[in-house]
Amino acid sequence: MQNAALLPVAFEVIQLVGALLILLVAVVAGKERKIWAPIAGVTFLASAGAGVLQWRDVSEGAGGLFFSTQEIVIMRSPMVVMDGLSAFAAIVLGLVGFVALLGSWDLVVRLGKRSAEFVALALLAFAGLHMMTVTPNLVVIFVGLETASISFYVLAGFLRGSRRSDEAALKYFLLGSLASAMFLYGVALTFAATGSLTIYGANSVRDFFSFTIITEPGILLVGLALMLVGLFFKVSAAPFHQWAPDVYQGAPSGAVGLMAAGVKIAGFAALARIFVGGFISQIDTWAPIVAVIAALSMVVGTTMALVQKDLKRLLAYSGVAHAGYLLATMVGGIEGVPPMWFYVSTYAFMIVGAFTIVSVVRGPDSVEAPVDSFKGLAKRSPEMGWLLAIFMFGMSGMPFFAGFVGKVFAFVVAGDAGYLWLVVIGTLTTVIGFAFYLRVVSVIFSSGDDDDDKVYSSLSARFAVVISAVVTVFFGIVPWPLLDVVREALPL
Amino acid sequence: MPVLSILILLPLIGALVVGLLPTRRTELVYPIAIGMSIPPLAVVLYILWNFTAGDAGFQFGEHIVLVESFGISWTLAVDGISLFMIALTALLFPISIAASHSITDRAKTYMVLMLILETGVLGVFLALDLFVFFAFFEIVLIPMYMLISMWGSENRAYASLKFVLFTAVGSAFLLASIVSLGVLTGDQLGTIADFDFRNMLQVDLSSTTGLLLFLGFGIAFAIKVPLFPFHTWLPDAHTEAPTAGSVILAGVLLKMGTYGFLRFNLTLFPQAAVDLAIPLAILGVIGVVYGAAVAIVQPDIKRLIAYSSVSHMGFIVLGTFALTSQGLSGSVVLMISHGLTTGALFLLIGMIYERTHTRKIADYGGLAKVMPVYAGIFLFSAFASAGLPGLSGFVGEFTILIGSYLTLPVLTIIAGSGVILAAIYLLWAYERVFTGPVTNSKLEALKDLGFREIVILAPLVLLVIGIGVYPKPVFDRVEPSVEIILDRIEATTDYEVPEFGRNADVVDVDYGPVSELRERVNGEGN
Repeated sequence: MQNAALLPVAFEVIQLVGALLILLVAVVAGKERKIWAPIAGVTFLASAGAGVLQWRDVSEGAGGLFFSTQEIVIMRSPMVVMDGLSAFAAIVLGLVGFVALLGSWDLVVRLGKRSAEFVALALLAFAGLHMMTVTPNLVVIFVGLETASISFYVLAGFLRGSRRSDEAALKYFLLGSLASAMFLYGVALTFAATGSLTIYGANSVRDFFSFTIITEPGILLVGLALMLVGLFFKVSAAPFHQWAPDVYQGAPSGAVGLMAAGVKIAGFAALARIFVGGFISQIDTWAPIVAVIAALSMVVGTTMALVQKDLKRLLAYSGVAHAGYLLATMVGGIEGVPPMWFYVSTYAFMIVGAFTIVSVVRGPDSVEAPVDSFKGLAKRSPEMGWLLAIFMFGMSGMPFFAGFVGKVFAFVVAGDAGYLWLVVIGTLTTVIGFAFYLRVVSVIFSSGDDDDDKVYSSLSARFAVVISAVVTVFFGIVPWPLLDVVREALPL
Repeated sequence: MPVLSILILLPLIGALVVGLLPTRRTELVYPIAIGMSIPPLAVVLYILWNFTAGDAGFQFGEHIVLVESFGISWTLAVDGISLFMIALTALLFPISIAASHSITDRAKTYMVLMLILETGVLGVFLALDLFVFFAFFEIVLIPMYMLISMWGSENRAYASLKFVLFTAVGSAFLLASIVSLGVLTGDQLGTIADFDFRNMLQVDLSSTTGLLLFLGFGIAFAIKVPLFPFHTWLPDAHTEAPTAGSVILAGVLLKMGTYGFLRFNLTLFPQAAVDLAIPLAILGVIGVVYGAAVAIVQPDIKRLIAYSSVSHMGFIVLGTFALTSQGLSGSVVLMISHGLTTGALFLLIGMIYERTHTRKIADYGGLAKVMPVYAGIFLFSAFASAGLPGLSGFVGEFTILIGSYLTLPVLTIIAGSGVILAAIYLLWAYERVFTGPVTNSKLEALKDLGFREIVILAPLVLLVIGIGVYPKPVFDRVEPSVEIILDRIEATTDYEVPEFGRNADVVDVDYGPVSELRERVNGEGN
């Protein structure tokens, strides 16, 4: 086992360097935004590239545990783990971050002087997100969670002039801190019960179960429950979802895709890391809870989305439902991780694409996005109209779009684990979901009064939307290349 | 040569070609779209020609493993039942595309959607992997939804959403059942899941599981058929859809439901099929009588034909769940016949609607004097639909009635009244629209059918006569595939097909023209 290798933490290092470089350039070169774009883009792509290198090393068997702190006896544990899960997370986060930042570039341009902070925060947030997936240490997971969350609190409230944006940021901050605190409390109780903070290595929580005679230690169960709640909040699973609609609506349209996609990816990767990686022996204890939360998320997300009049709120509630489908994969244990990856990585692109279109149509610094304002979009901007329709079909789970494959595999895994009732609820909510996704589609294709009110999109936004749509359609028609890859994206 | 894959891909390639046409050259869209719908028909003719009649198994099989861990594969094959479904599909699509001459608003999108729809429907009838089958079953909704919601008449938003939601609710149960069955199959094969139809046949299901899965599949197909009381989406969707949409809906999409019953419900869950045969047959008969009765009082001619579909589809369900050889093969023949006759009627209504922009029966009268050719073809189609001997509808309905009388005599007698009611609603509608003096002065200036319109209708008319006079080629191919379903039911359950309803000992008997069939019935009585 090597120590102090750079590759396992390359993602974080690159993001950090990129963020600092942008802040530096902003000070030195003033408002010269043209340089930031290549820096930010290269940073994300380099991070994804580092993920590819990690992936290669892992598949050659060079993965494992790094940065063990031998000095401190009680916490003698590795700080970094390089395995399929963390390497794939690096690739996905890098690519999604790149596309999402392209999509929010209109906002960056609009922000003027303050835009350097925005880009730097986005880079830092993604560093935090990946940190959640790359460490076996529960406290470091918390550090990553907070790094990402605090960056996102700021991004949500970036429009200082707008009261809705302030409200969103404050709400996100208050509720988010509570969730973080719960997660931390859960970590503390887990430590109290097992005497360990690490998932792998010597004296890990996994080892704890091999020599304890207590099968269900009470303190540990509370700890697990609190950690679950903390992460449920972050991925906006019902009933911990109330912040999502307000934050999605209040945050500047250009920034929502970045936040929503990143948090979902890292949140589910962290859930897989902690619960499938660390507490797989306790699966009979936590899987029923996850199943109930999954069902609740599907039902609440879908029914609430039905009555939304604002597209951003609608997408927020649909995100709650998607959190439910993603949680359904978790009850399958290790079998559920590949479908989870397939689902979350394609969903991330769909949500980025959809929010980029919202930002194009309503303006990057807009707050409200009534569904009716998308009337006749297919005539006002044929490409944006059709692409938004593609994202709606993709999220609704229509066949030959990536969302379908993700959903069906989630159901198969849940069914295989014996949760047939979850499959039935899932298929029913999928159908009810058609109602609101198709409502958006029919609005797009209906003829509005202002058909001549053309919608213009910047090159970067078009690029982001087209890439997302290609991912949505391509992996819907030929999912197996990605399925073959995610089969290896497992926690150690 | 992967004929079936090519068949599925051809319309998709056509859609791409049409979609890539330059925006300004709108005049090219219509001829090229027709041209693109012809190759699938040619491939189907090739398949018809090379299909081995009398072989019960699947032919032209293809099998490529797609996702090994989840047991998903690209498995296509055709048997006597799906053979005629793809033939009907490949025939009706060029016809309905040709009948869409009047579509000028966003014509390119329209044609692209039609061709995508054709790919979806062909996939449904050919796929033997249930994952792929479901994907095609569901994808059909998108183009159909858009066809209705973008080119439909006044109430299109309501009708299209109702259509999607009704069908999708069924799909939810279907998906849940497919996933469960796939997982159960996987359990027995030692994998996570397996969706291959042939592997699924090997699974031992407990009677409760079989019943639940039968219901899951059944609800989806019952809504699609549509079986009473799930039929309420149909009149709205048919009435609001553009002409081609109605033709495809009635001609092909409804058959996806009855095909699903035959292919999956009867074969995969034989015990449940036997247990639930009578309730389902009762629903079918209610559909026959109710659909026909409601059709009589419709003031809207398109709605009248829509309700007549409910009635005819009820016949098909009755024939299916009679669980006799004649009932099943009669069902397949009636599926074909209904596709042809109802297709022709919807086309005819579309042609007159383009001229007058009204579908109200009360707005017409004495049309036969103005448009004699039109009136003739309409009367012919109405007779065919009502089951006049010598035309295809009669062959189907009569064979169904023979088959179902063996096991369900009372229901059959009630269903027989549907034939009479059909004559009433169709001929009464004909009388009001075509006979008598010309009541509406606007009608006097109407032009009779043009050459293009007659060419569009001709293949349907000829096939209706062809099947009506000489149905043997159809029966020769359908019967072995139907027998194998009954074999499986007999092998796995206590049910025994009544002797005459079983064709195993009389395989070499020539079914021949319908008149012989009748003699055999009489002979049996002696």
